[in-house]
Amino acid sequence: MTVSQPTASPQADSALAEALDVRGGWQESSETYFQLVSRRFMRSRISLLGGLMILMLAILSIFSDFFSPTDPTEINMQATFTPPQKVRFTNVQGQFGFRPFTYLQVYDFHPETLEPVWVDDESREYLVKFFVKGWEYKLLGFIPMDRHLYGVQDGGTVYILGTDKLGRDLFGRMCQAGRISLALSLFAGLISITVGSVLGVISGYYMGWIDGLLQRFVEVVQSIPALPLWMALASVVPITWDPLLVFVIMASIFALIGWTVLAREVRGKVLAFRETDFILAAKEMGASDLRVIFRHLYPHALSHVIVVLTLQIPQIILAEAFLSFLGLGIQEPLISWGYLMRDSNSLETLGVNPWILSPAAFIVIAVLGFNFLGDGLRDAADPYATA
Amino acid sequence: MAADVRTAASEPEARIGDTILDVRDLKQWFPIRRGLLQRVVGHVKAVDGVSFRLLERESLGLVGESGCGKTTAGRTILRLYEPTGGEVWYTREDGSQVELTSLTPQEMKVHRRELRMIFQDPFSSLNPRLTVMDIIGEPLVIHGVTRKRAEIERRVAELMEAVGLNPNYMGRYPHEFSGGQRQRIGLARTLSLNPRIIIADEPVSALDVSVQAQVLNLLQELKEQLGLTLLFIAHDLSVVEHICDRIAVMYLGHIMEIDDAENLLRNPAHPYTEALVSAVPPADPDVRMERIILEGDVPSPSNPPTGCVFHPRCRYAEDVCRTEFPPMVDLGDSHLSRCHFAADLELQGVE
Repeated sequence: MTVSQPTASPQADSALAEALDVRGGWQESSETYFQLVSRRFMRSRISLLGGLMILMLAILSIFSDFFSPTDPTEINMQATFTPPQKVRFTNVQGQFGFRPFTYLQVYDFHPETLEPVWVDDESREYLVKFFVKGWEYKLLGFIPMDRHLYGVQDGGTVYILGTDKLGRDLFGRMCQAGRISLALSLFAGLISITVGSVLGVISGYYMGWIDGLLQRFVEVVQSIPALPLWMALASVVPITWDPLLVFVIMASIFALIGWTVLAREVRGKVLAFRETDFILAAKEMGASDLRVIFRHLYPHALSHVIVVLTLQIPQIILAEAFLSFLGLGIQEPLISWGYLMRDSNSLETLGVNPWILSPAAFIVIAVLGFNFLGDGLRDAADPYATA
Repeated sequence: MAADVRTAASEPEARIGDTILDVRDLKQWFPIRRGLLQRVVGHVKAVDGVSFRLLERESLGLVGESGCGKTTAGRTILRLYEPTGGEVWYTREDGSQVELTSLTPQEMKVHRRELRMIFQDPFSSLNPRLTVMDIIGEPLVIHGVTRKRAEIERRVAELMEAVGLNPNYMGRYPHEFSGGQRQRIGLARTLSLNPRIIIADEPVSALDVSVQAQVLNLLQELKEQLGLTLLFIAHDLSVVEHICDRIAVMYLGHIMEIDDAENLLRNPAHPYTEALVSAVPPADPDVRMERIILEGDVPSPSNPPTGCVFHPRCRYAEDVCRTEFPPMVDLGDSHLSRCHFAADLELQGVE
């Protein structure tokens, strides 16, 4: 009739756990959530590769001056649309040397068609040097430096990806454009997830009429065709404005891409967790709404939000490239990858100078890198999946 | 708040007596909404006029089958759900009384230190993202007891020892513990602010039978040690009998019978109690009892039967039961039964 008398002491199961414990020690702590996620993330090769791709682009962008043998803002009308220069080890006599060199390229006419062409001037070799002194710049904006990763002897040039229509080194320009392209998409992504999270949490936590209102608003925003809206918004931003202001406004325009989707997803997460016992337990303790949201509800949506961010950034990169290509996005003096490809919008120019499409390679690397990273994070962020 | 606090002096002592919590006609109706405009088309009367007194340092069992409203009653008392009606008078340590249902959330927070709850499911009631230290220490932080990490750690270690957990494990996460250990964590969290009343909502029903007794004994030990008052919600009479001084039987949002645990089991005065008691397996295998099988299902609380809510399943029901809601009949010695024939029926109890 009565519950069976306990055969073990209250300490029984903790004693068992102690016996099984191999770590021991006072206040030993177990893996935190972050450690768990990073351990699982490290196991995914493809997402590591994605991370490395992003890291590479970030380094090239941040230290773009170091990677540019010539000042990427300096106009050189003698060198417009130079094709990529070959870095050689063997000279015209067929002699092989271990020191790389380049030939100057000079303008000439094709002997038969009389078309203007670039030919190598093989009269003099210009040695390529590493960590060479060159034009002066400020590293990270404040450390004066004049060293560059590579360069050539005075009088020579090394345009490894050719030049644009104003004779500027395209590789250096691409590195510099990465600053805007990456920073803008990251910034726009952050705006997007902030707005999406705040509205999603409010919607899911307070429910009722405020939820209905916000969800209808989301539906209205989602039903506006994005492309014409961006084009309209981007074209009303005056060119004369401060570049930084233009940057912020462009970022806000691109943030319109993702916040609605995220707001819905965060709302769903909050709705799923708001009725769980541990939320009820927090209220029973007397926790305030803010505490319940930030300590107990939002952390459960955070992994999801980070994944959405990494998957949203490539979309923004692509959208920005597209608009800038059309001349509606970023304007000089700011440059982005899409802007660099503007010259290729005439078939004639593109046919003669195909290398001006090379910024597309960076876009592809960035988009793939972020997608790989996001995929890996998505798998790693769910701690309840079988480890 | 001043209006709600009555000092002991302004109330006759006898009325208060040693009552620590006086629940009067508590109602919790959940609206049923339909259609585009979310019009209220009815109510689920989960708790429909529950009254009882919880006495200082006793343990009162609240039993009933699933869906009878016992969990809702517990949560409504703590204002985890806003009550539809009724009053909850709480007698504070200094003897003053306060009516909990009319307090603002900020005023209620003060009393949450003293009225705590243990949750049924130790797997979902602990936030999986927090360490045991953060879980047990959270009430201390919320109520501003201390913000110093070292002090919280010391208190958490104390509490963990009190509930039979190794304090070395305070850096671990809930998923690294067994069900029984988790319920101990929940218990430590409940005890962290030195409560006076604990509402234990089926604290062992999610646990293995082998662990149930350990947790029950721990709860009883701590109750004696700390002088706690316990409202023990359960669906299992044998568990309640083990731990409770008095038992209240609930059915479809109403309390059907309240009495001392032993007397209720021996001399039930309500046909529903009789059926419940007959379902408890006797400890002595030679004892044979008539097992009463109730006909039909529990009616929907959104559309309760007329008259006595138990009449469709009651084998003693007569015409008056179908039309008239029975009053609480006082059978003396604080034995109350909500049955028209409480005094007349000869019901079977435990031998």
